[in-house]
Amino acid sequence: MSADLLQIGDLTFTSRLLLGTGKFSDSATMLRALAASGAQIVTVALRRFNPAQAADDLFGPLSQLPGVTLMPNTSGARDAAEAIRAARIARELCGSRLIKVEIHPNPQHLLPDAIETLEAARVLAAEGFLVMPYMPADPVLAKRLEDVGVASVMPLGAPIGSGQGLGASEMLRIIIENSRVPVIVDAGLRAPSEAAGALELGCAAVLVNSAVAAAERPVEMAAAFAQAVQAGRAAYRAGLMPRRSAASATSPLTNFLNAQT
Amino acid sequence: MTTDHEQLTTDALPAWLDVAPLLSVARTATAADVEAALAAAHIGPREFAVLLSPAAAPYLENMARVAQALTRRHFGRTITLYAPLYLSNFCSSGCAYCGFAADRDHPRRKLSFDEADTELAALKRMGIEEVLLLTGERTPQADFAYICECVRRAAAHMAMVTVETFPMTTAEYAELVAAGCTGDTLYQETYDAAVYAPLHRWGPKRDFAARLDAPARALAGGIRQCGFGALLGLADPIEDALRLYTHIAGLQKQFWRAGFSVSFPRLRPEAGGFQTDHPVSDALLAQLIFAFRLALPENHLALSTREPAKLRDGFAGVGISKMSVASLTTVGGYDHGAEGGVGQFAVNDARGVADFCAALRAAGLEPVFKNWDAAYR
Repeated sequence: MSADLLQIGDLTFTSRLLLGTGKFSDSATMLRALAASGAQIVTVALRRFNPAQAADDLFGPLSQLPGVTLMPNTSGARDAAEAIRAARIARELCGSRLIKVEIHPNPQHLLPDAIETLEAARVLAAEGFLVMPYMPADPVLAKRLEDVGVASVMPLGAPIGSGQGLGASEMLRIIIENSRVPVIVDAGLRAPSEAAGALELGCAAVLVNSAVAAAERPVEMAAAFAQAVQAGRAAYRAGLMPRRSAASATSPLTNFLNAQT
Repeated sequence: MTTDHEQLTTDALPAWLDVAPLLSVARTATAADVEAALAAAHIGPREFAVLLSPAAAPYLENMARVAQALTRRHFGRTITLYAPLYLSNFCSSGCAYCGFAADRDHPRRKLSFDEADTELAALKRMGIEEVLLLTGERTPQADFAYICECVRRAAAHMAMVTVETFPMTTAEYAELVAAGCTGDTLYQETYDAAVYAPLHRWGPKRDFAARLDAPARALAGGIRQCGFGALLGLADPIEDALRLYTHIAGLQKQFWRAGFSVSFPRLRPEAGGFQTDHPVSDALLAQLIFAFRLALPENHLALSTREPAKLRDGFAGVGISKMSVASLTTVGGYDHGAEGGVGQFAVNDARGVADFCAALRAAGLEPVFKNWDAAYR
């Protein structure tokens, strides 16, 4: 069997678990969780870059890690123009072509703005970024983003930080069926079983942050997610048995077709 | 705008200020109502009123647990930090409870632009990345142009600049945004117009309605984050909490791109010696904070150094997501230490940045200084 790699543009990864870096109690815990997760792509918000103060800087400690690719994100951007500006600054600062376009104009619920996201993705993809857009679980938007050249689509499973799981699973299924780029579920997961479920469904990967950072023991939870993602992927590759759509009736409904009179 | 007290009839005020039905809930709720509210999947206005009620007081521990879980879910194990910088203590109003009121007999000064730069550099050396610039009400000494220039200078130092000054016009707010201002805090002090009038003895702040409408003008002018608060101790805190909540709920629908935070300033002893008729106990403060956290799980709730270390440490991450640190309420003072000037109010948690951050870390919370970027202004 050929190596099962996650392909983002021209980059390949063995891990299918992506980790967010905010919300941890300290950098040391975040780094231990990252190690336990085996994640090879980590996202860090430009607004948490603070080269002037090492203790407050999330970028510094992450940039030193071997085998980890940084994916800066534009969290805080309210529209396409701000996200584009943030993406360019982030690329200057950390040299990564990966950019997670996060445009959530409302700082309370943090839901993505589809219209601004599409515009930012169009501009940034043309500039050579590997664009990873955080987006509503909207199958048509996923295709529109693919058309402008994104490297993946990152639909939310449920509202960010909500821990509601795969509330949008039917939309995700349609997105996956129709997508030519990796589909990565971003946001909303709470339990490793939900991550496994996303991979079983055919998602290429999942991104978690709150589910790990807000767990009682984040490092252990990161390891649990790593196992779940591997199990989910293996199950997807093994091919799940078909789900029976209805129970078999004790009295067949179609007997009338064979009736003689 | 100088509306006289006599013109401030309830007819002239917005209908949402009438919270009688919710107030009735808050006055009559039973233990069963509280338990139902705590079990509810969503805390709406009615549940919020129930959680403010005397019947909820015995449920503080339950409320605290939910408040912590919600704070952690949305903000993680982090506390966002900021520091205030008083630019000026000139004032044109006569608030009965304020140490900077125009009739208080103490030296007035404002920072020159060069002094403001020096203070901002000192704050930056302390690690501060979000500064709140404060003045009194509008005066010739600290007018709009002065604040705008201070914002511009602060934006050169800091990732985020916010102001707590005086009600402005929409055009002025837009100019502040262009200068680099991200947030505006303006406490209504009290939402009870009848209590408000005699406390605001003269000056522009007498205009209750103009102040009430200021956050809407700020948001229309492009301000991204608005801070709200009622000065706890001026009026019935339950009524104020209900109106504050209603104020935010209405604005959130209108200005859906904006952030809305709530602060919980309790009256502190100040130079004028104002005595409160509505003292807010620690337990009631806790009930207010927890109720707001349950009702607004995604909004920043802030607690300043008005409160003592014991309470600040206790509320950190348990409802509260944002805190000031190492605050001075004198004009300037960060560069050479406080120079004996009179502060607006007495600071109750005088810990420096290192000590406060150590306390947060000991509680498993990460202090976050930079949580914004100049790319977003």
